[in-house]
Amino acid sequence: MIIFKAFLKVLNKYKATVILYTVILVFFAGFNMKDTKSNQGFIAKKPDVLIVNNDTNQGLTKDLIDYISKNVNIISIEIDEDKINDAVFYRNVNYVIYIPEKFREDFLSNKNPKIEIKSTGDYQASLASLILERYMKVATIYNNKGMDEASLISNINNTLNKEIEVEVTSKLDNDNLSKLTSFYNFSNYSFLAAVVFIICLVLTSFRDEKINKRNIVSSTNYKKFNQSLLFANIFFACLLWLIYVLLSLILFGNIVFTLHGLLYIINSFFFIMCAVTIAILLANIINNKDAISGIVNVIALGSSFLCGAFVPMDFLPQSVIKIAHILPSYWFIKNNELIKTLETFSWVNIKSFMFNLAIIGGFMIMFISLNNLVSKCKRKKC
Amino acid sequence: MFIHNFKYALKTLFKNKMLIFWTFLFPIILGVFFNMAFSNIENSEKLEIIDIAIVDEEEYRVDDFYKEIFETLSSGDKKLFNVNYVSLEEAKDKLLEKEISGYIIYLDNPKLVVANSGINETVIRNVLEEIEDTKDIINNLVQLKVQEEILKNPEVLNYMESLTARIYEEAVNELNNVQVNVKDISKSNLSYTMIEYYTLIAMTCLYGGLLGMTAINKCLPNMSSNGKRVSIAPTKKSTMIVSSVLASYVVQLIGLSLLFLFTIFVIKVDYGRNLGLVVLLACVGSLAGLLLGVMIASVIKAHENLKLGIIISVTMLGCFLSGMMGITMKYLVDTKMPIVNKLNPASMITDGFYALYYYETTERYFFNIFSLLLVAGILFFISYMFLRRQKYDNI
Repeated sequence: MIIFKAFLKVLNKYKATVILYTVILVFFAGFNMKDTKSNQGFIAKKPDVLIVNNDTNQGLTKDLIDYISKNVNIISIEIDEDKINDAVFYRNVNYVIYIPEKFREDFLSNKNPKIEIKSTGDYQASLASLILERYMKVATIYNNKGMDEASLISNINNTLNKEIEVEVTSKLDNDNLSKLTSFYNFSNYSFLAAVVFIICLVLTSFRDEKINKRNIVSSTNYKKFNQSLLFANIFFACLLWLIYVLLSLILFGNIVFTLHGLLYIINSFFFIMCAVTIAILLANIINNKDAISGIVNVIALGSSFLCGAFVPMDFLPQSVIKIAHILPSYWFIKNNELIKTLETFSWVNIKSFMFNLAIIGGFMIMFISLNNLVSKCKRKKC
Repeated sequence: MFIHNFKYALKTLFKNKMLIFWTFLFPIILGVFFNMAFSNIENSEKLEIIDIAIVDEEEYRVDDFYKEIFETLSSGDKKLFNVNYVSLEEAKDKLLEKEISGYIIYLDNPKLVVANSGINETVIRNVLEEIEDTKDIINNLVQLKVQEEILKNPEVLNYMESLTARIYEEAVNELNNVQVNVKDISKSNLSYTMIEYYTLIAMTCLYGGLLGMTAINKCLPNMSSNGKRVSIAPTKKSTMIVSSVLASYVVQLIGLSLLFLFTIFVIKVDYGRNLGLVVLLACVGSLAGLLLGVMIASVIKAHENLKLGIIISVTMLGCFLSGMMGITMKYLVDTKMPIVNKLNPASMITDGFYALYYYETTERYFFNIFSLLLVAGILFFISYMFLRRQKYDNI
């Protein structure tokens, strides 16, 4: 108990760091949390579009704007070219449509007026382009038949009102599951940074030469000493894990109480235990306290960037994914991504989940063995 | 004495492993991580060819209209789909295995089956609706034309079938030849991941504060034994401080040059075309970062670790607000709380590089340069006020 208390005392010294990492995670999760209602039907994705209308908002021009507005998210920003350029660069807007002066008049008199656009070139912009071109095509064809404006608009709308029947097979609440996955993926960084940094700092305090010598001559058996220290480390990790699980409960509510939620929780528990074994190994290797933050930053940031904690795995190059296989974070994040897609919990589906957990377990055994090896070498040197 | 102290300050700084790690090595390591994570992200966001399946049953086989359109959409330069013609069971399996984004069944009308709502799924639905539009337009055009022909010459009723077929073909041709007059006037340099690298440069500039702090701490009697010795030496204090700070600035510029070389030649970061202005911004940014460290070291009477913590926290907060952890944050702060980024040196540096990369004019760039010079001036003034005429009754 004395050792456990000493551990907590040293830990208390670093409470600011623990709070800092927790705050970062909450902030990130909160930043990603927009009001998403759970849905299981088909919801068409809508690109963000800005319409700069230099014509009067009536007749055909109004109908074009109405049609675009129905199919996209209209973004309103101050009409200033620099502000529009900034919005496009920072992807606040995917597509800008400039309706020219006298558009309606010119279009109705078959002058084929030019519409200028700005685009981010991504899939959202391509979708916006499809929507604009669809309207313009239909309007041009009917206009070539020499209709008056009212019948033109009526014909356009009759044609564009057709809807295709869409059936969605997945019964999952994909939007909320994606957010929960991002939350747990990001915890890869928080767990690694907080657990490894704090445990390394505390353990190196115990390994300080004078303190170490005092511990060696004390009446406490070294096995009992190491056991207490290990127990204290696990206790700290569990505490941190519990805080994050509670956070996910507060932020995501009911979805955490489902079987999907349970799998995320089990997966994160395995990973945080793996982080403890990494921390113990590093604490054994690192002798200089000043070096800890550098090493921890490189490990935590490195594995988070390479394994898809910050950037989704689908967006990473294949070469990076291949390298990531040698890191436990990869298997942790892969499991989170797998849970997101599980429709049923049959053994066939769960098998892959268990396999990934087993690999994380394998990493734990490897780190513990390495730690024993390093300890043995160090003791021989003594 | 100036040269003597400058030389030894340089040596001391280069021998400080922790400082060299944070100012030289860490930004390069972070750059490597950024490159690995972001090198593919913009390509992944482009609309790619979508894999779909069409249930190959009698209803589809007899519908020439749809068949022709899907043949066009799945071949040529503007190919949009990879179409698999399969049985219903195979289509279901493919959807379950995520080999396709959706499949189409033809009953009375086409029906789209997808696993969930996404961009690819929305595009397929839009294309199907567009095909339905086209069908509707052709029917309307044929109807109009037939009525016209009947009014002109009622005898056409005798050869209605061939007339309708001819009009149908004309309508399809007309439809295929419709040109929509849309012109893309977007700028070509739209790579938003550049912002991440600019924040990396901003971070390195501000981490120069660690060097400035170390240099000042070596001259302060309440911070180190070295400082005590320097203070009682019969040398002008300003000479000692200025030479130490200048040595830190030199070390910082060397670190920054290495980072620039790495990002330009290895990562291929685009800093725009004006190299002179890039160098000027880096030098001014470094000066502001260095003076931030000097100011914190002079104003705060605390242990070195606390000063270090404050510099790192200020730097990371500044970089966060200027978009290091996601460019949305910079845009959000720039538009909702512009004053915050107008006071944030990391954002001034990032925005300066952004202005050089994205804009043809240099007004925005020079606004950032003057803001940084102003910040540097204020930091210098505060440090000067705190460093001058310091006396100690005891230490």
